[in-house]
Amino acid sequence: MKNNPYMLWGLVIIAFFSCVALLAPWISPLDPSLIDGQNLLMPPSARHWLGTDGLGRDLLSRMIFGARISLSVGIIAVGISIFLGLILGSLAGFYGKYVDALVMRFADIMLCFPTFFLILAIIAIVEPSIYNIMIVIGLTSWMGPARLIRAEIISLKTREFIQAEHALGASDARIIIRHLIPNAIGPVLVNATLGIAGAILLESSLSFLGLGVQPPIPSWGNILIESKSTLGIAWWITIFPGLAILVTILGFNFIAEGLKKIIG
Amino acid sequence: MANLLEVKNLRVDFHLEGRIIHAVEGVDLRLDKNETVVLAGESGSGKTITALAMTRILPPNAKVVSGEVILEGQNLMSLNEKQLSSIRGAKIAYVFQEPTSYLNPVYTIGEQIVEVMIQHQGLARKEAGIKVYELLRQVQINDPDRVFGSYPHQLSGGMNQRVFIAMSLACKPALLIADEPTTSLDVTIEAQILKLLVELKEKMNFSLLFITHNLAIAKKIAGRIYVMYRGKVVEEGPTARIFDKPEHFHTRELIAAYEKIGKL
Amino acid sequence: MILEANDISKEFKVEKGMFQSDAGRTLALDRVSFSLQEFTTLGIVGESGSGKTTLAKILLGLIPADSGEVKFNDTYIKNFRKDVQIIFQNPYNSLDPKMRIKDALYEPLVIHSMCLRQGLRDKAKGLLEAVGLDETALDRYPSQFSGGQRQRICIARALACEPKLLVLDEPISSLDLTIQAKLLDLFLQLKKRFNLTYIFISHNLAVIKYIADNVLVMQNGRVVEQGLTQEFFSNPSQQYTRQLLDAAR
Repeated sequence: MKNNPYMLWGLVIIAFFSCVALLAPWISPLDPSLIDGQNLLMPPSARHWLGTDGLGRDLLSRMIFGARISLSVGIIAVGISIFLGLILGSLAGFYGKYVDALVMRFADIMLCFPTFFLILAIIAIVEPSIYNIMIVIGLTSWMGPARLIRAEIISLKTREFIQAEHALGASDARIIIRHLIPNAIGPVLVNATLGIAGAILLESSLSFLGLGVQPPIPSWGNILIESKSTLGIAWWITIFPGLAILVTILGFNFIAEGLKKIIG
Repeated sequence: MANLLEVKNLRVDFHLEGRIIHAVEGVDLRLDKNETVVLAGESGSGKTITALAMTRILPPNAKVVSGEVILEGQNLMSLNEKQLSSIRGAKIAYVFQEPTSYLNPVYTIGEQIVEVMIQHQGLARKEAGIKVYELLRQVQINDPDRVFGSYPHQLSGGMNQRVFIAMSLACKPALLIADEPTTSLDVTIEAQILKLLVELKEKMNFSLLFITHNLAIAKKIAGRIYVMYRGKVVEEGPTARIFDKPEHFHTRELIAAYEKIGKL
Repeated sequence: MILEANDISKEFKVEKGMFQSDAGRTLALDRVSFSLQEFTTLGIVGESGSGKTTLAKILLGLIPADSGEVKFNDTYIKNFRKDVQIIFQNPYNSLDPKMRIKDALYEPLVIHSMCLRQGLRDKAKGLLEAVGLDETALDRYPSQFSGGQRQRICIARALACEPKLLVLDEPISSLDLTIQAKLLDLFLQLKKRFNLTYIFISHNLAVIKYIADNVLVMQNGRVVEQGLTQEFFSNPSQQYTRQLLDAAR
């Protein structure tokens, strides 16, 4: 670990935010939806470490619960995309020919759409909610992992140990799950880590536009909705959520760099 | 016979993850003019490192700890990199096991050898071209036109090895070090390449240091044999004596293997 | 007779250019026929390009032949994937780098339901002992072993299936001569102990002479000569064979 400062700092950052997210109900000083009409837009103080928003709600508490949203959307969305990507990519790489052509053309079609606008279009049709966001991001980002695993599997397929497994009588499923995927997963892990960062950014952007997590559930993105109108007068509403998003994404990028070094 | 090369107490260490590995531990070698000497040993014995260390072609984590390499009276260890690079190729040339990996895949054979001649002998391109044709004929390539214009991947392993030998002899070196040059070739091609090396040596007057784990080759071409084991020279002597009365246990192991499966 | 190969042919298409246009075909195997007696070793000799590895893969059903057939004697070869095994040339690529040795040895035992969960480790121990390795190897990874040791592990893995026929595709060619000699003796020993039949592919004639009962010579996908080892080495009938022998002497 000491040889890999990126990995170390990445893990520190993400561990910090993960703890915050997990322990939210216990460490949050105040109820995030508690409206306090007397303390609207107060700057950071002893009582409100990060200040209050336009409805007098404590920003720190809202940020802590927002961490839950951001991290869970990131992880679950990427989980869905990896799950889909691994299955489709493995089948394409392993069986080749028609299966490969089918899956890859499907991926090509999906890649033609600019992801963000595709997601916007879908969200406009289904109602915006945290679950829909996770699913939509997951369903539109499987192509990256699929291509990566397919490429690795195509090159691993010809290695003697895979042929040896065929000769030993291993079934196709056994070979793919026990031998090909574990050896091919490296680049997919790096892609996944960066994917989480991307998903967090995506969620924040969608929430900022009002198409993601709906108030009163706090998300770093929808807290920023207020920043548009309060930019000159309440800097804390812009700076803190922005910083949180920045540092979290940085943390995942560091982990990805650290992984690249380990995988070599 | 005059002394061409003398290696005294050569020590090379490798630094690997905090540990120091003594790859070559005090090796003494001697080569006279026009001699053919075999350096015999198995993988891990240090024979290749010994050969590369002579002109300091070593990976960054390897270091020549001590020793002298005296070529025609000059200690190569005391030369700087610039002086050493004028010795490599010109006075000491190498032939390695996999010719295709050492030839540049994006240049034709002709272009590559011409470059070597321009660099080392300062010839004009046209002159160099003519000399290259002569060289190709000297290594018994019967269709030099085709080979001159071919890329390495278009030629067979045996042909590439001839080309490599031609390249190494382009600058008429005094010493040719061949490291397992025939190990990956078919037995009929191996026989041809060995014959070629012996004939070229007579014609061009160079000394040949042939590295191999196969004593059958030593019996065919060498006057003297050095046996290396775990970084040290454990036995040395004329070929006939080594086969007749091997002293060190490892030499006896090599001879026993030769008796069993090294000869027909 | 444990197997009979009849007129096996295989073509490979050569693809060229960006659009993979058909630039020609190479005939890797051209009507190869031979038969194999049980408990014997058939040595297949050939230089690179002779088609011997393609033949090995076809025998193992890893690639399909274009024409011809391989008939196995079903009193011996009842469960193909269990009774016929292969050892490859490259020991460095023949084991899953992410699997411990014990798991690699358990695979065939589990796939063919040869043993209960409790007995797996003991069985694996026994297999390692048969190839001259001790049980400390079980918990290690392939990267911790030398080429010769990895090949022994591959042999142990193949033996786990209790095979009748073992196809060995240049199993020792990439190793040092002293290790080659040791492994050859191991092969002979295992053959006797487990009543195996071997197809031993090599380009090294001295190795073939040492281990094979019968020899088959291949050149450019065709069978050039076949016969008993002794006759073959003392009195070859074909010119190509004589060339090979002369080069090796």
